[in-house]
Amino acid sequence: MTEKEILMQVRNLSVMYKTRLGEVSAVDNVSFDIHKGEILGLVGESGCGKSTMGKALMRMIQPPGKITSGQIIVDGEDIMTYDQKQMRDFRGRKVSMIFQDPMTSLNPVQRVDEHIVEAIQVHESKTKTEEALSRAEGLIQRLGIRKNRMKSYPHQLSGGMRQRVMVGLGLVLNANLIIADEATTSLDVIVEAQLADELRDIRETFGVSLLVITHNIALVAELSDRLAVMYAGHIVEMGDVETVFDTPLHPYTKGLLKSIPNIKLDDTEKLYKMPGEPPNLTHPPTGCRFHPRCPYAMPICSKYEPYFKEVLPGRAVKCWLYIDHPEKESETIEVTA
Amino acid sequence: MDNLINDKNNNDYLVEVQNLIKWFPVQTTFIDQLFSKERDFVRAVDGVSFNIRRGEVLGLAGESGSGKTTIGRVTIGLEEKTKGNVIFDGIDLSTLSAEELRKLRRRMQVIFQDPLASLNPRMSLGDAIRQGLDIHYPETANNHRDMVLDIMEKVGLSPAKFFYNKFPHQISGGQRQRVVIARALVTQPDLILADEPIAMADVSVRALLLDLMVQLKDEFNLTYLFITHDLATAKYICDRIAILYLGKIVEISELTEVYAYPLHPYTRALLAAVPVPDPHDRRTEPMPKGEIPNPINPPPGCRFHPRCPYAQEICSQQEPFLRELRIGHEVACHFAEDFLTES
Amino acid sequence: MKSLDGQEETTSTQEEVPEWLLDLDRVGFVRRLLFARKWYGGDWWFVLISGILLLFIIIVGIFPQWFAPYDPKVEVGPSLLPPGEAPPSFWLLTKSEGGEIELQDIADKTNNIGFIIGSAASQAMREAVDELNDTAPEGTRYQPRQQRFETLEEGLEALIAGEIDGFIASPEEIGSALDNYPSLQADKTLRERGEKGFVFGTNQIGQDVLSRIIWGTRIALIVGLSSAVVSLVVGVPLGLISGFVGGPFDRILTLLMDSIYSFPGLILAISIAAVLGAGIGNIIVSIAVLYVPTYFRIVRGQTLSVKKELYVEAARSLGTKWRDILTKYILPNVIPSVVIIFSVNVGDAILTEAGLSFLGFGLPPDTPDWGIDLARGQDYVRRAWWLITYPGLMVTLVTLSFSMLGESLSEILNPRLTER
Repeated sequence: MTEKEILMQVRNLSVMYKTRLGEVSAVDNVSFDIHKGEILGLVGESGCGKSTMGKALMRMIQPPGKITSGQIIVDGEDIMTYDQKQMRDFRGRKVSMIFQDPMTSLNPVQRVDEHIVEAIQVHESKTKTEEALSRAEGLIQRLGIRKNRMKSYPHQLSGGMRQRVMVGLGLVLNANLIIADEATTSLDVIVEAQLADELRDIRETFGVSLLVITHNIALVAELSDRLAVMYAGHIVEMGDVETVFDTPLHPYTKGLLKSIPNIKLDDTEKLYKMPGEPPNLTHPPTGCRFHPRCPYAMPICSKYEPYFKEVLPGRAVKCWLYIDHPEKESETIEVTA
Repeated sequence: MDNLINDKNNNDYLVEVQNLIKWFPVQTTFIDQLFSKERDFVRAVDGVSFNIRRGEVLGLAGESGSGKTTIGRVTIGLEEKTKGNVIFDGIDLSTLSAEELRKLRRRMQVIFQDPLASLNPRMSLGDAIRQGLDIHYPETANNHRDMVLDIMEKVGLSPAKFFYNKFPHQISGGQRQRVVIARALVTQPDLILADEPIAMADVSVRALLLDLMVQLKDEFNLTYLFITHDLATAKYICDRIAILYLGKIVEISELTEVYAYPLHPYTRALLAAVPVPDPHDRRTEPMPKGEIPNPINPPPGCRFHPRCPYAQEICSQQEPFLRELRIGHEVACHFAEDFLTES
Repeated sequence: MKSLDGQEETTSTQEEVPEWLLDLDRVGFVRRLLFARKWYGGDWWFVLISGILLLFIIIVGIFPQWFAPYDPKVEVGPSLLPPGEAPPSFWLLTKSEGGEIELQDIADKTNNIGFIIGSAASQAMREAVDELNDTAPEGTRYQPRQQRFETLEEGLEALIAGEIDGFIASPEEIGSALDNYPSLQADKTLRERGEKGFVFGTNQIGQDVLSRIIWGTRIALIVGLSSAVVSLVVGVPLGLISGFVGGPFDRILTLLMDSIYSFPGLILAISIAAVLGAGIGNIIVSIAVLYVPTYFRIVRGQTLSVKKELYVEAARSLGTKWRDILTKYILPNVIPSVVIIFSVNVGDAILTEAGLSFLGFGLPPDTPDWGIDLARGQDYVRRAWWLITYPGLMVTLVTLSFSMLGESLSEILNPRLTER
């Protein structure tokens, strides 16, 4: 990947939810880029804010949640300034999404072909139905669904097939980015692998970018080019997937990678048990949000929040170990390529 | 009969399952019932035999429709079999009366998948855990609170006194699963059915729970029947593993044996499909096409044949039976020998 | 209180739990309820308000005699007196030269007493005379003749001239005129009844509306609570068993309950009351029958859904007996809805009871009861709005309080499954 053209720039994005117990800062001042044609994995445990992030990128956050600040820049325009009409155009045509539960994300009273034709006609209203249908057909077959299933209703399809229909809906309009929010979590292992192959294929053929949001880190290792690790509403580490796996920088990433089960027999390491639990986001810890669980915590970590520093080109981490600060007592670790 | 229920036999096997069949009738409408005599059945378990040795962790692994959960439930006596035998410590479960079976439950306990759903929202944690003791040992009721506090400490719910009066919604998911584990252990059972026990826990908590379960197994001399769809996790806890497909066992042996020398095409595909958390080691094998067929009408012959890249004519006609190809390693495939020669 | 919150985060590590927290857990339900405030945010005041209100209402219901200024069944004031108004007082004007003269002295057949045309003084005089007659010894009868005058001056002139023996007028009518007539004296003792005032006015019979309302509380609460309790005691066990056992028993019972349920409430209550006859016990039964199906349906529905829950299956796998499953697992999860229905039920029963007595069924007609008062007050809506307003307000208030209590209880009794 020599040329890294940027598809989407996210700057200082914050999302807040109001709950009975207070305000939850689900995504807190996050900035990153998505490159054209890349598969970016966004991983974290439940409650870290990754799903919220996915929805925020399509401005699909509903009350009691709200995007409180930030910009999302696509093709030179900040979609936060778009009005309803522009957003409707944006969703589906520029960015589309696949959800976790395929059963509820498709309309149960519409057939597969009707779904796709509708998607086309909503965005390109002058398209005739026959034309839309033939586009749909080609795409569906490409995705591995037989032509005779086009007239099926969602409940007549299996989980894997429904997800493919969702992918199809994203592709039929030549979206530039598909966000897959836990898209394979409810699928069987082999079907998940099939879908992963499919997604890789699609990226090769159409040059579509993929944002794969999941808690399944092994999946991200199989599939993605780059990896972003989220914890408590922050991206704590980001970089090429091989580099992050080989030399994780952030203590959370280190612990996380060591705690994942590996099916390979030659991996005989015992699973690492991370102490503590993810924090309550109505009262997040002061300073760095990971410091209560961090084996490397320094006094400065509970006082100030580290910024997301690019330590090498394409490699960033949000941790005081790698950032200078006047009050820091220990040495700053230099990251070498 | 009472004696048998409470003594332990000295057989090697704690559980013997022989030719177990469990079919569920498909709901039909009134009109269908009038017009056709034939009923459709979901053939969840279609002829399964295996044994569980004392002190081992036997994994039942498979995707949806494999029948693994149903096998577990019938083995524990929560469901009735359609045909076949389930023998627990020498006792054939079908010979027991309802009351005798109820008493036998003390020796077989369950850890469910969803900890929040399996705890009574209106019972305090301490009360929930002591139920087993109160039911089966009513005479020692005074000691039960202490026994519960003791076991709560053992599973890591510390300080136990703090948690005793809490309710399920006041604690975290990981802690809830510990409560479920404590509840299962308090009666000192012989067999524990663990039905996907960590599937719903957070990633960072799973390692803790797995470790806990292994620790407790050694400390309490337990035997686990471990149901899972996650072959990676199974590696860390199962001694032996049975791979299930559409209601039948296709391969069974020691886990390290199966993972190192998978002999059934389905097992090979399944093992390859599991993502490996190492970006340098990405899967190159293609996946079998298609999806798991409907258990109401399983394919004739070998159930995997429509998706099997090695299928031949005999596969659609004759159903293969489990046969021992390596020591302690059984496979149900007509051509499994072909894989023997691979390393 | 922050530590309670903070405690929840750190319990998985081996941190010290303060001793007071451990003790607190032992202390029990009430304390825990107090600290429940932490989880239920601002809604605590809801329970408090409705609780206090209901407590007050119940105390009034149990001890009406402490609160009611008058006996509700006795005529204690002028009829149709507007609320808050002092009963009109009247002065008896007489010539001072006769010494102290009371009405009694000038009230027999030979006397003339005058008043202004159209003044309420005539009514006052009539009532005063009636009162005299009530307390008079045998044989004596007071019946003074009445003389009407166009204006006050005419009347006063007549009085001075001796044409009439006395003149009755209200202080407002007299004004300062007496200054011009030094030879006249005023007896202000007429109309002394009602020293305590009539805060809500009086009805057409002269009974104090406030006292009637207060005494009416007792009847309303008795009928409302009893019928709700009877409905509960019958409906809940039936619903539990029916949902649990299922089968043909369940189907028949459901059919029966649905038939009762489908009747419009008041009409059913009327029919039953008509059959059973009058009396407070029969009223209670008629209303109770009305609500049994509600308890039945809700409890049965809940039982059916709880039966399927994983924790019931977990209980089965522990070896729990069926009886214990019903009492320890199903019943506690069903009770919150029962409590809510109960609270709303009581309010509704009071309404129905008012409706029944409004239509004339059940209670003897002189019982101080809101429904009866509402019925009687209908005809006077324009003239004496307070006759139906206050009983109506009371019914609304009590029903509302019970509903509020029910709602706030539902908040507290439902564990917050989504909260973490």
